[in-house]
Amino acid sequence: MTRSQGVVVALSVAGVGISIYLTLLHYAGFAPVCPATGAINCEAVLASSYAVIFGTTIPTSAAGIVWFAVCALIAGWRAGPVHLLWAAVGLATMLYLVFVELILVRAICLWCTAAHVLVVLIALIWVYAWSAREAAAR
Amino acid sequence: MSKKKRPVAPGGRRAPGQKQVRKPVSGTPAWVAPAAVAVVLAIIIGAFLIYRWYTTPLPLPSPSPNTTAALIAQVTGLPASEFETVGLGTADKTRLTKVTGTPLVGATGKPQVFYVGGEFCPFCAAQRWPLIIALSRFGKFSGLDVTSSSETDVNPNTPTFTFRRATFTSQYVDFRGLEVSDRQQQPLQTPSTAEQAVWSKYDPGQTIPFIDFGNLYVSSGAMYKPEVLGGQSWQAVIDAVKDPTSVAAQAVIGSANLVTAAICKMTADKPAAVCSSAMIQDLETKLP
Repeated sequence: MTRSQGVVVALSVAGVGISIYLTLLHYAGFAPVCPATGAINCEAVLASSYAVIFGTTIPTSAAGIVWFAVCALIAGWRAGPVHLLWAAVGLATMLYLVFVELILVRAICLWCTAAHVLVVLIALIWVYAWSAREAAAR
Repeated sequence: MSKKKRPVAPGGRRAPGQKQVRKPVSGTPAWVAPAAVAVVLAIIIGAFLIYRWYTTPLPLPSPSPNTTAALIAQVTGLPASEFETVGLGTADKTRLTKVTGTPLVGATGKPQVFYVGGEFCPFCAAQRWPLIIALSRFGKFSGLDVTSSSETDVNPNTPTFTFRRATFTSQYVDFRGLEVSDRQQQPLQTPSTAEQAVWSKYDPGQTIPFIDFGNLYVSSGAMYKPEVLGGQSWQAVIDAVKDPTSVAAQAVIGSANLVTAAICKMTADKPAAVCSSAMIQDLETKLP
């Protein structure tokens, strides 16, 4: 396994962990309160109507568990079209969820942001690995 | 047999039969693709931030002192028929929990309603309306002022009031309203040691809004969703609240009636003009 593949595995494991935590928070319910310190409000994001997959009651964080788990599984393969396609799925979903946070719910969940950063990092590593492979093949 | 080298013609031209060798062309560096992806993502997220800034309701312009006084007079002078018609409305009575402890008394020795909130918090913004309306049935406020919740939080710029300079006088109940943070989430008022102890005892998570009704009941959170007040002006909210069939009245007046029932339990149903109403008596039976 190359170093970049190892990094992707590590990032994926972290992503699975964060997604599991967010899923647990979603099912824990949400009280209409603010923390006295005014910290950023994960509960407002996770309890919003946008926090579930369309037409279901399944939280989007559960989809994150699947996405990151697949990343860990395919990390050992040489970067190719499958990785780019999976990265595109992750990036598109990430952009939609950032839109929901910033525009629709107007609250930012730092844990969600951490997961989004992991999606971007994994995608960038795969794009770089694919690009480097293409350059070497020329 | 040694291989003969083909001679190179003068000027570097190819000798007959010599294949042209192309110089290797440098490809696009590997970092360009991920950098392009990162730039596109940054542009899209930047566009979201600009759109958010553009569509955030503007902070409500502060009314003049005379207008503020008129607003407060309307909020604190609603007719009794309004309360009777709405009843519990859409108030969330699960926000109230029964507690036990030494009765909480205020500075004048009467049972005390103790509120902790923050000016930035949209749930506090929502909860102050029914709290002010309910308490005004037991006494009189002075020093109330208008404000709105944080413009960067969920439910931005929710119109409300602040207790930061408010005082309350009543024959029946004391009130202590503490705003621990201002609209920019900066520290504002500090609870005393005793106040901190009460807050910590009944709300270890230190969430706001927190209301202690004489150590008989505590309320955590807003009894209705701040969306009901949805970035409207204070007068628009008051006009909506005056219509008992409106969503705002069902939420705000319903919550005020719930708060009133809790205060009546503290004051042993005094004053009778407020607490003896069949609707309040019925609500008291629904308290935890």
